[in-house]
Amino acid sequence: MSRRIVAVILLALLGLALFAACSGDGGDGAAQREDTLADIVARDELNCGVKQTQALFGLKVGENDPEGFDIEFCKAIAAAVLGDADKVNYVDVSDGSTRFSLLASKQIDVLIRTTTLTSSRDADLHVDFAQTTFYTGQAFAVQADLPYMSSADMSDNPTICVQSGTTTEQNLSDHFLELGYTFEVLGGTDAETLDAFVSGRCDVWTADQSNLASSISNLPNPQDFRILSQLISKEPLAPGVRDYDTDWKDLVNWVVHGVIAAEEAGVTQGNVAAMAEDPPNAQVARLLGVPFRGGEVADHGFGSESTPIDPQFIQRVIAAVGNYAEIYDRTVGDAVPRACSLNALWSEDKRDCPAGGGGILYALPYR
Amino acid sequence: MKRINRLWMIALAASLALLALSACGGDDDQQQAAAGGAESRGDTIALIQERDMLKCGVTDTLPGFGFRNPDGSYSGFDVEFCKALAAAVLDDPDKVEYVAASSSARFELLAAGQVDVLVRVTTITAERDGGRGVDFAQTTFYDGQGFVVHDDSPIRAAEDMDGATICVAAGTTTEQNLDDFFNERGLTYTPLPGEGSEPQDQFVARRCDVFTSDKSGLAARIAALPNPEDYRFLPLTISKEPLAPGVRDYDSDWKDVVNWVVYGLINAEELGVDSGNLTAWASDPPNTAVARLLGVPYDGGEIADLGLAVDPQFIQRALRAVGNYGEIYERTVGQLGIEREGTLNALYTEGGILYAPPYR
Repeated sequence: MSRRIVAVILLALLGLALFAACSGDGGDGAAQREDTLADIVARDELNCGVKQTQALFGLKVGENDPEGFDIEFCKAIAAAVLGDADKVNYVDVSDGSTRFSLLASKQIDVLIRTTTLTSSRDADLHVDFAQTTFYTGQAFAVQADLPYMSSADMSDNPTICVQSGTTTEQNLSDHFLELGYTFEVLGGTDAETLDAFVSGRCDVWTADQSNLASSISNLPNPQDFRILSQLISKEPLAPGVRDYDTDWKDLVNWVVHGVIAAEEAGVTQGNVAAMAEDPPNAQVARLLGVPFRGGEVADHGFGSESTPIDPQFIQRVIAAVGNYAEIYDRTVGDAVPRACSLNALWSEDKRDCPAGGGGILYALPYR
Repeated sequence: MKRINRLWMIALAASLALLALSACGGDDDQQQAAAGGAESRGDTIALIQERDMLKCGVTDTLPGFGFRNPDGSYSGFDVEFCKALAAAVLDDPDKVEYVAASSSARFELLAAGQVDVLVRVTTITAERDGGRGVDFAQTTFYDGQGFVVHDDSPIRAAEDMDGATICVAAGTTTEQNLDDFFNERGLTYTPLPGEGSEPQDQFVARRCDVFTSDKSGLAARIAALPNPEDYRFLPLTISKEPLAPGVRDYDSDWKDVVNWVVYGLINAEELGVDSGNLTAWASDPPNTAVARLLGVPYDGGEIADLGLAVDPQFIQRALRAVGNYGEIYERTVGQLGIEREGTLNALYTEGGILYAPPYR
């Protein structure tokens, strides 16, 4: 075949590609909307992108499904959409550098992987974020015999372990630039950085404080390490979906708000069936999609045009995983105390909290 | 050689024909996009830039939040966010066409593309987000529903309102909460619904016993009356009312801009950036967080472009126009005596729940 013909075919293909880009999904201009909800229902399974290497949040042991705080939200969403918390295909995105390409290429429906909501991810990477599920911040763990009390003491060019390709790495550089200090970086995966820190190849390990706490609490010798109380960043961890997929984003968002609303309203895994049968007030009735005193069921209209979601979806969510407090206690638990942290409810009595402490979780109203 | 050229021309022509057929980016699509038409995505930010004017849906009768002054200008907390958005997108806080959106018509105005954004004391609810095609940005003001009575009224608590006539804005979450509240307690009432300032006027004229609305709105209206001491608040908050800007669904790039303008003004307060130090800090930022927020280099580094549909200096322009969140609050609702300290609208570091995700 001559090169001329190849060139002609290529150009024709280019024309077709441009045509497809304009009229199909994934392009700009008159691009189509996404309808991930329809895909999930057709597949009868949720593709949930999770971490599988972080205790308490997403950890896979042997052949079992992964377990942890993030995993509970995959189950909650599957219960809401498919009526079955087990219809989840856990896609391993332990490698932080691939998570956004997996989302963009539709290999996952939602990313629930200790991922910080940032402006550039929201905008540049075309991720649409739901309500934050866990507020944390970057912190330092140090070898217990080192004299560091905060980063201000780290002026002796310490070796610092940090996971590659994360906001953590960027915050670290920023922080040391501001301090005017130098440091040696030892990068790697989550597991590699932990291993390097435990074996003493770095003086300091930096990660989200919740990550440090969960990893160190699982070691045989936690007393050999210290977690500094200083936080050097805000890390609101939130589920992410693709932009222009708004009905799907709305559902994920209101599943998160639903488990928080359930805690606020005192609805638990144990009482959800009874509450659905005889709701104590109109607010609970609306949350669970049941009538109050013979009234009508409030349908909030969730779901896409092709794939409506019935008003009882939060009832299924709570039956599957419980409310926010139950999810937290079952997974993160005491490793990261919840009281007076940002992850407490907004209505928490803050008088016993240190100055500036106290929860900010606030469920949007189900009406 | 000639033959190659001819083949190239044919292929090129075929490509162009296909492109033309697809009517990519044509006016019809834009109109449809603006109106939230069938299955296409919205691109409101392009429409705003083309028009060189932001259409902001506001209330025009609520002092402190959205109010049309006798000279025709608008003022209030919500109005400041319209200005901030116009400054961010069009580099001019005055390029705003204020569209008075009544409580019952506001969502139709948004759906029909007659406003680009609603900044109109509008509560985020499941039904509006899930079923009405509205996508909400970060809450700008956390409020809750309350009740006000004439000072000489015998009504002191919820039970005293049994059988009362109650003034309320039509088409609001307030109406619905009121219904829930009385139903749950087995009490009766007669609603007297109205648009704009009608409920207030009816209440002042004693055509109803009780006036209910979001507490801050009530406080603002009462404070603006000639004799505020003649009215009394009941010690009740019966709902959560997170008030937020709303745009159309499937308009993600525009939603992102609105969202990050709100976050930016909160972040600025948290980082200590205000109208006074803005110029100095933009030329010499004290840290990377401020540099990123303002879209300027830190210590000779590069400018961080967040990839929004506006250039990286958009928050700098918004701040120059209206100041940070705290300044907006003080200049508007703060002037009516609505305290911020100890409320949800304080920063999270000060006992409130305002928390902006990081600019990175």
